[in-house]
Amino acid sequence: MQEENSKQQGTVARLAGWFDSRLGLSYPFLRSAPAYSVNPFYWLGALTVVAFVIQGITGVVLMLYYVPDPTTAYASTQYIFQNVSYGRFLQTVHLYTAYAMIMLAFMHMMRGYFVSVYKKPRELMWIVGMGMGFVTLGFGFTGYLLPWTVVSKSATDVGIGMMAALPPPISNLISFLVVGAGGDATELLRFYDLHVVVLPAVLLVLLALKMYMLEANGISEPETGPPLTVEKKRLIPIFPDVSLYLLELAAIFGSGMLLISAAFPLNLPAEFTPQAAAQSTPQPDWYFLWIYQVLKISVFEGPALPVALTIVTLIFIVLILLPFIDRSDKKRISQRQVFVTLGIIFVAEIVALTYWGLITPGQIIPIEQAVLLLGGLALLIAVVSLGLFRVLASRVKKHLPTMEAPKIRSAEIWNGVAFTAVAAFGALSIGNTINAIVSLALSGFSAGELIYLAGSLVGLSACVLGTIYLIYRSDLRTGMIKRRVKLFEIGWLEELSNDAN
Amino acid sequence: MPIRRVVILLLLLQGVTIVFLWTLDALNQVSEGTFALFLAADMIGFAMISYLYRHEKEMEIPSKVWLVVGGVLIVVFMFSSLVLH
Repeated sequence: MQEENSKQQGTVARLAGWFDSRLGLSYPFLRSAPAYSVNPFYWLGALTVVAFVIQGITGVVLMLYYVPDPTTAYASTQYIFQNVSYGRFLQTVHLYTAYAMIMLAFMHMMRGYFVSVYKKPRELMWIVGMGMGFVTLGFGFTGYLLPWTVVSKSATDVGIGMMAALPPPISNLISFLVVGAGGDATELLRFYDLHVVVLPAVLLVLLALKMYMLEANGISEPETGPPLTVEKKRLIPIFPDVSLYLLELAAIFGSGMLLISAAFPLNLPAEFTPQAAAQSTPQPDWYFLWIYQVLKISVFEGPALPVALTIVTLIFIVLILLPFIDRSDKKRISQRQVFVTLGIIFVAEIVALTYWGLITPGQIIPIEQAVLLLGGLALLIAVVSLGLFRVLASRVKKHLPTMEAPKIRSAEIWNGVAFTAVAAFGALSIGNTINAIVSLALSGFSAGELIYLAGSLVGLSACVLGTIYLIYRSDLRTGMIKRRVKLFEIGWLEELSNDAN
Repeated sequence: MPIRRVVILLLLLQGVTIVFLWTLDALNQVSEGTFALFLAADMIGFAMISYLYRHEKEMEIPSKVWLVVGGVLIVVFMFSSLVLH
């Protein structure tokens, strides 16, 4: 039996050796990966590429049957559904993998944000990665139109209409690139060309650039948990170990996609006709809903639309330029209180806006509601996060007892009540300030508007001061104050003596 | 050797499923669901084989939890696809 096994192993080894000597698999040009990187979170970008590969394979098959012309696009899509072997399955996998690709790209970006991978020397990797993210969104935008359904065409028209509100040089350029000179036929053909030729080519170039930079800089070290041991730093060859690990992840991801495709097979919506479009509510696909929801806020309706588009553009610009905005050397999550809090707020706002957009199709959102939800959510997360950071930091410094439950003192109850009041009042102040600024921008300067703005700013300043005051008082108790401010310590000694009694 | 037996079993399973997949009506929506689930089971099987190989190569003990989870997933996928069929 043993002899048979070794004989079998010999055959496998000979076969592997034959391929190895011709392909150079055991001495690849890619550098080895450290053991700590054998973790799915390190390979979210690679899984995004796997999704792209699945997109490519299914997309090529769909291309064999699809005709990019307004008169035949829907019929050819229907043909794929009904007459091509596993046609519906291919369409379903293509769509869900596209969704997964966008989701994975977002997760990859946010992981990078939280663990500071964008810092020196990986600034350019971050920028290239952001470019890849935009290309991924471009795939979604261009691919959505292709079936020529009433849902996809109406939503795309809304998107193109919004671009027209951008400053003329930008809107003209986008219009030329995306829509072309003609009507529906040119638009569909442009979208198809962008989807199957231009965007894949751009993504591959950016991917090659990013891979090159990954090779140059290596995989970043983890910025959480205990210091790395020698075992964790051990290098693992990219072939076969890391490659096999990646294939395992890809297989699990693929089976997940297949499971979802089997559970929720795609149904083709109605064909686009102007009559059908007039009866439907245009709504972009889920990954653009958060932007659409911002644009639906009442204050941005009509002439103020460019203001909303500018805000969204600024968010993207800040994300791209992040390595040059956050220039501190601190990489550990526990040391990056402000950026971690901002990151959590960003994710929470996007999730909230997306869900909100999903349940309010076509509805204009009153500014008060938007401010209360978005401002309140941001403030709540900020307060909770700042509190958590304080508690964690003080625990690390052993200022708080860890074994026995801390006694709740009157000052702490007061702090909690005051924090809630500041959060509620702060949300209103932020909303009123935005409202006042937009009103001023739209209707020009007037005494009433200026008084309104001044009042809102006073309220906002009071909230900021109140927050600083409360954080200071909290820090005073845990002994974390670096510079004392006597004004904020009024009544502190009395509180201490009351607590002692 | 138990690892080798598990791998042989998984390979056999993959062979059988591939033969079964050829018998499906490719234009039927139910068949598409069956196809997807069998393929998903095959992929889990492949991931398990690769996982076992990596651990055997490094002379490490593979996690029983992952193997059981993988096995259960394969059974659930195949059973549900047969029910669907």
